[in-house]
Amino acid sequence: MELFDNLLLGLSTALELNNLGLCLIGVLIGTAIGVLPGIGPIPTVALLLPFTFGLNPAGAMIMLAGIFYGAQYGGSTTAILVNVPGETSSVVTCIDGHEMAKQGKAGTALAIAAIASFFAGTLATVVIALLSVPLSVLALKFTAVEYFSLLVLGLIAAVVLAHGSVAKSLAMVLLGLLLGLVGIDVSSGAARMTFGIAELSDGLDFVPIAMGLFGLGEIIANLERPTERRVVSQKVRDLIPSRADLRAAFPAMLRGTALGSVLGVLPGGGAALPPFSSYALEKKLAKDPSRFGKGAIEGVAGPEAANNAGAQTSFIPLLTLGIPANALMALMIGALMMQGIQPGPQIMTEQPKLVWGVIASMWVGNLMLLVINLPLIGLWVSMLKIPYRLLFPAIVLFCCIGTYGIANSLFNVWLMLGCAGIGYFFIKIGVEPAPLLLGLVLGPQLEENFRRAMLLSDGNFSVFLSRPISAVLLAVVAVLLLAMLSPTILRNRRAALADSA
Amino acid sequence: MAPSRIDWRDLLLGLFLVGVATGTLFATRNLAVGHAADMGPGYMPRVIALALLGFGLFFCARGAWRAGAAQAIEPVLARPLLAVLGAVGIFALTAEKLGLAIASVVTVVLASFATREGRVLETVPFALVLSGAAVLLFIKVLALPVPVWPR
Repeated sequence: MELFDNLLLGLSTALELNNLGLCLIGVLIGTAIGVLPGIGPIPTVALLLPFTFGLNPAGAMIMLAGIFYGAQYGGSTTAILVNVPGETSSVVTCIDGHEMAKQGKAGTALAIAAIASFFAGTLATVVIALLSVPLSVLALKFTAVEYFSLLVLGLIAAVVLAHGSVAKSLAMVLLGLLLGLVGIDVSSGAARMTFGIAELSDGLDFVPIAMGLFGLGEIIANLERPTERRVVSQKVRDLIPSRADLRAAFPAMLRGTALGSVLGVLPGGGAALPPFSSYALEKKLAKDPSRFGKGAIEGVAGPEAANNAGAQTSFIPLLTLGIPANALMALMIGALMMQGIQPGPQIMTEQPKLVWGVIASMWVGNLMLLVINLPLIGLWVSMLKIPYRLLFPAIVLFCCIGTYGIANSLFNVWLMLGCAGIGYFFIKIGVEPAPLLLGLVLGPQLEENFRRAMLLSDGNFSVFLSRPISAVLLAVVAVLLLAMLSPTILRNRRAALADSA
Repeated sequence: MAPSRIDWRDLLLGLFLVGVATGTLFATRNLAVGHAADMGPGYMPRVIALALLGFGLFFCARGAWRAGAAQAIEPVLARPLLAVLGAVGIFALTAEKLGLAIASVVTVVLASFATREGRVLETVPFALVLSGAAVLLFIKVLALPVPVWPR
């Protein structure tokens, strides 16, 4: 079986001592930032990118991936103990998880969250392995024409499915695409929008942009809100859930995993959608829906499973097609490009060790999380006692040093300063900047493939419709955009995303 | 604040986008556009800038006319904004000249002015510790080529 060969290759890569160590570092950092509200995985991954230069590509990706799913674990700890979501993805866990903690069942809630996450992570790894091969076979048939259409689909779908106004998100994608064009034009050598600044000729680095928009902008906005944090002060005990608890939670875990796996693959489905959908589903299926909100164990197990499954399957479009499903995956593409690997449909055949290594490492990482998370719970809880007034200056400093470190250039620090201002402005006017990052990372590829497609077809735009795969992809784009104009769907979407915004 | 008839959120976004688009059109005015079969370097920037201009005008119009739906923008607090941006700026100004050790201390101290909760007795030692950690981590372990002390 090819599948087993692939997984074996992946496991042997993931279990190399180096990569095991990097995986551990990744999940530990991920858990830490997940536990701490106010710093998310996007600025953290951006911050650490410059330092993955020296690592081998597989090791770098394994570590960065670990940060991402580690953060999902950590976020739920904060949600349960403090009733503050450590990450957006754990907003739902607050509802019943914190209620359980108030009833003295914090240990059970934490354990169920961890077990549900592990269970989902394991199944999602299998899903990734199963789906990757057929998708990459399909992807090998792609020429510039299909790839352009795929990129368009990826961008549009990410916009439509993510939260926030569609029109604003589209504008953000365009803004990102525009920023992606800055620098020397590859085919003509002409400088575009560089304003005579030498540092701009290689294009804008996305690390300062990501850190400014997401890290610093968020910090400034956070500081305007009064901080109040109350940790449930009880000894966390009963870390091993009873059989009855497990039996109650198991079906919810299973459903959450299935739902999360499907939603995670969709572009834009990233973090918020799976747990919300799962919570709604569990509530609908429950015999006694009134228990929800009062510490129902299914309300923790389902969303936690969905959230982790979604986090992992969102790697599928990245690893098979080179299309990022959300802003974080866009950073992963950036990491690949820094390593000199061109992301795209060919990545699976050209870098099997990397792709399968990352997939297998997710399972290994999930196991590590389960093992380290429960015994170390006291450590994470004590981290929560670090006041924000000490935390944020440290984050500011590390952002500065990290940005400087990408190219040892102070220009990038100034760029980050500008982006921090813009990020704050966006928060103030209620604009979600994540699509900008997608546009920025995909912009150069979009232009290159568009140009190549136009060159092949002699400037005839109908080529995108006359090729079957491309036509289907664009038809999906059209359906998505039309659906957004339909009032009923618009209303449902608003209702579905209302809480997550 | 009196209930506004103008949706400032949309209007400001619109103005921002129009500004970026016109800036781009101006900055790329000398680049060859070419045609679809043989695009010049100016083709894509112009196409995207025009689309952005369209979005910008749309948001301006919606912001100005969509009365009632307006959500007021929460007031801007100068303190966190200036302190955080200032901290980044001072890092950029000092890192290469005064070295990472001093730049880190200055950055952390300035940043902590963003909140009123900060106490000097707490902030300064904390900044010193962070500075030491940063030098150890970034220069000794990760070999970042930046001076530790003033040159």
